[in-house]
Amino acid sequence: MTIVTRASSLPLWRRPWVINSAVTVASVLACLLLLPSRIPGMQLLGVSPHWLLIWVVAWSVKRTQWEGAIAGLVLGLLQDAMTAPAPTHALGLIVVGVLTARLQKQRYLQEDIVSVALIVFVMAVIAETVLALQMSLNQLISVDSLYPSLDKIWLYHQRVALSSAILSSLWAPALYYPLNRWWDRYSTDA
Amino acid sequence: MVTLAISSAWLLRASDGALIYEAYHWVTRPLQPGLSREQQFENSYILELQERIVELENQNRALQAVDAYEKSITTEGTRATVIGRGADHWWQHVILNRGSRSGVDVGYVVTGPGGLVGRVVAVSPSTSRVLLVSDATSRIGAKVSRSRTMGVVRGQSNNRVIMEFFEKLPDAKAGDVIVTSSFSRLFPRDVPIGRIESIDLTKSPAPEAVIQLSSPLPVLEWAIIHPFEPLEMVDIPTLPGAESENGARLDGSGGAMP
Repeated sequence: MTIVTRASSLPLWRRPWVINSAVTVASVLACLLLLPSRIPGMQLLGVSPHWLLIWVVAWSVKRTQWEGAIAGLVLGLLQDAMTAPAPTHALGLIVVGVLTARLQKQRYLQEDIVSVALIVFVMAVIAETVLALQMSLNQLISVDSLYPSLDKIWLYHQRVALSSAILSSLWAPALYYPLNRWWDRYSTDA
Repeated sequence: MVTLAISSAWLLRASDGALIYEAYHWVTRPLQPGLSREQQFENSYILELQERIVELENQNRALQAVDAYEKSITTEGTRATVIGRGADHWWQHVILNRGSRSGVDVGYVVTGPGGLVGRVVAVSPSTSRVLLVSDATSRIGAKVSRSRTMGVVRGQSNNRVIMEFFEKLPDAKAGDVIVTSSFSRLFPRDVPIGRIESIDLTKSPAPEAVIQLSSPLPVLEWAIIHPFEPLEMVDIPTLPGAESENGARLDGSGGAMP
């Protein structure tokens, strides 16, 4: 309680929660702006790292399932905004957020950079699988579906999932390390 | 806090991410490419011209027989630079640096060095998002320029597209030039798409051809946006079994969003 009263005497823009939210939002924005770019050395078979997925994993590692799910929903909607609303990316990222938050509780993995890269690798495959599943479902249910046939979807899925997983896990520390350091500092400050 | 985050994400989604792409446009402004990979584009351009000549020759032959002839598309348009690619791994999009402020609108057709590139599916004040012909959900009514055999071209997420013919025994062979047909509602007619690489006549339900796109989509750096008014109305459906003589159904539209 003393912390709250001390913090509220500061001007608004210097309060810890304002700075923290600003940093969080800015990091999401940076990820969004990285999405359409194809910087040389950052792509494999025309696929670039899935920055939003890395962000969701970094966020969910030390948080609850609900927080992970909400981050997944928000970032998924943002990615929908930048591509197309169907099939939705939100579902995949929600699954990723929830699973990452659950993983941490089981204490199978340590919270170092290598295990985060590993989590990102698995989650990237899961996120692409959820998208491919949505497309397959649409293909099976609707008669005049625009998506290609099932075998083509899953063949493409293999390629995309693998290159996305490799690239995202390699680039994961670049985002995870500074973000995690910041959130750690914020939680000890506040 | 949570509702704020979700509602702002929802708002952005409703506006097709216009705000994000505006920001992206300003951030990448110093990085937007000038001219490079000249050779590749020049080759594609020569290829396009060759295809256009083939198409014009065929058209000329047809013209001598038929009097009524509509003017094909004019070449005037807005030049734009490619500043970004699809924001995920499934959609084949490019982001161009011209938007509604330059008069670009949804449904406009984009061509590049080599021919057809795609159509505009979303615009923000200074960017526009183009669904490429190579996207798996893209459908374009097309024809073989030499024999006027009709078909539908669909993308498969790489630089080769598949053309499905309407006829069981299409008059087409490897090397034939493919252009958009007049059945296409979302694209103007007679724009070069590519060349037939191989044909599989045994494919069921319809024979298929693999087409090599003539525009280098993976390395595309600039494109031209042509104003085009898509005909999105649909004809009254004919009863099943009442197909027209040559079996060509009027469904050759393209590039629709799912």
